[in-house]
Amino acid sequence: MTERTGIRPEQAMKMLRTMRTIRQLSERIIPLYPKDVMETPVHLCIGQEAVSAGLCIHLRDEDLMVLGHRTHGPALAKGLPLKSLVAELYGRTTGCSHARGGSMHVYDGEHGIPGSSAIVGGNIAVSVGLGLGRKLLGSEGIGVAYFGDGATDAGVFWESLNFAALKEVPVLFLCEDNGLSNVMPKSEHMFADPARIAGEFMPVYRADGTDVLSVYEEAGRAVAQVRESRGPAYLHCTTKRWMQHQGVLEDDLPYNPIDPEKDCPIVRFEEFLLRTRLATPGELAAVGEEIERDLDEAFAFAEASPYPDPEAMEV
Amino acid sequence: MTTMTLLQAINDGLRTEMKNDDRVLVFGEDVGRNGGVFRATEGLQEEFGEERCFDTPLSECGIIGTAIGMAVYGLRPVPEIQFLDFIYPAFDQIVSEAAKMRYRSGGEYTCPMVVRSPYGGGIRGGHYHSQSAEAYFCHTPGLKVVIPSTPADAKGLLISSIRDEDPVLFLEPKRIYRTMKGEVPDGEHVVPLGKGRIVREGRDCTVVAWGAMIETCLKAAEAMEAEGRTIEIVDPRTLVPLDEELILESVKKTGRLVVVHEAPRTGGFGGEIAALAAEKAIAWLEGPVRRVTGFDTPFPYTLEGLYMPDPNRVVRGIQQTFDW
Repeated sequence: MTERTGIRPEQAMKMLRTMRTIRQLSERIIPLYPKDVMETPVHLCIGQEAVSAGLCIHLRDEDLMVLGHRTHGPALAKGLPLKSLVAELYGRTTGCSHARGGSMHVYDGEHGIPGSSAIVGGNIAVSVGLGLGRKLLGSEGIGVAYFGDGATDAGVFWESLNFAALKEVPVLFLCEDNGLSNVMPKSEHMFADPARIAGEFMPVYRADGTDVLSVYEEAGRAVAQVRESRGPAYLHCTTKRWMQHQGVLEDDLPYNPIDPEKDCPIVRFEEFLLRTRLATPGELAAVGEEIERDLDEAFAFAEASPYPDPEAMEV
Repeated sequence: MTTMTLLQAINDGLRTEMKNDDRVLVFGEDVGRNGGVFRATEGLQEEFGEERCFDTPLSECGIIGTAIGMAVYGLRPVPEIQFLDFIYPAFDQIVSEAAKMRYRSGGEYTCPMVVRSPYGGGIRGGHYHSQSAEAYFCHTPGLKVVIPSTPADAKGLLISSIRDEDPVLFLEPKRIYRTMKGEVPDGEHVVPLGKGRIVREGRDCTVVAWGAMIETCLKAAEAMEAEGRTIEIVDPRTLVPLDEELILESVKKTGRLVVVHEAPRTGGFGGEIAALAAEKAIAWLEGPVRRVTGFDTPFPYTLEGLYMPDPNRVVRGIQQTFDW
């Protein structure tokens, strides 16, 4: 990790807290999931936490971000309350989508998350419309399309780049590139480098998505570009997926080797925080413990919440 | 009141609602500078500016996706798909995103978007400028499907659709765009969704039809007069929500039912109306329900006249509810 001194301690700790919340939630889900207490398939974000944390620290509630199927990380980073997410995973009416959405369809109007789609790429054009709407309605907010490398295969991805560039839409295209589309390596599902071609349409930024400071810096530039130009930008973050595409088993694909130290955005960032004396070992441990308490509370809240009324089939 | 064609009434409906509500935006391929290939959006860009009426790339999926994003956060987009035959690239956005927005968010978000599109045969458009795809959308919970057959209804239903909180497919029978003329109320004019109309009263057989097929059925009904049978024609105006009550009331009165549509027979919406009668009016039926429809083939090129239901085929369909 490169040394950087520009970051303020409270921002650094906020990003750490976000990453650890995403990680510790995943670690809670892993042993619980086989017990079928959750009503939904889950796509965990272990290894990819830095992308959400480094991006969302630059976003405001008025910025509208639509997610793909791997929602927990970006939704929590954007502000979705933990207990609202956990209750949704448990299929309870107190969940963020009132037990109608599940892990792949989370909503939070207060924090600028008008949904997420399980259709890969399905959210991208919607984000362009959100950005255009922000502009036409005179909001200073921007749209954010949060998608993975698999979505760049889809026609709607290219349509959206073109539309956003032509109409000068304030939208950020955020590609969280974990190099895998389910089990297909990127080289087998995408012929070219989409970020390079996106450069024909808009400014492109690239970050190391396992290094939260790299994402923090590049996302800062990309978001500022969208805010100031009121036009689009593209941010490409390479990262690694530790778990299988869906579910709670670790990935064992020979072409996706994981080094639990070097590839871990949390280990890397904590080392940085200690080295630069932005945090002490005691402070780091306290963050983890506080999150454990939040998780206890969130899971208890979810378990105590009601299931939807079977009579209320329609919304 | 002003006498207008169906096309002028749609233009008037758009203009009225754009004046009334500055959240309403119109966009699509060739709708701005050109005023639409059928001229439905003529003059709107001049009057309301390029922000509220604009051209898009040839990119149906992107057009509808963008419209959805606008709709969920405070705007009232009315995108146009130039021909209904071109809607398939946008099918995913309509079916997977727009239709499910309200449900999957537990009612937190709605998607007030109206997708306008000319549909149906009769202009010698061939395979990809003639299809009637209404059944696909009727089959998708979360969507409303509206089809006007008169100028006054076109304006009134369009305004209701724009004001509706949910996504609406507004299908315009292009064959009668210019041939169908009628009185249209000036300014505010609202026709509620879910309320059909009796086009013509009769005692002996109910014919349910929509869009350009109403005219065809009226001719058939006149021909049946010569045989001493009076035909009641019901135009549901909106297939979803469907005015079941109006259809059932008519079927119970006449004891017979024929459904007429241009779309292919199998899986067509006529089957749904037949099922409605079978489920809720079987005891009143005095003969088999008949469907007069397009054929189970792609829309033909040179055989358009044979493919589309005409008055003679409708007459035969009606006769078959008596002679069986």
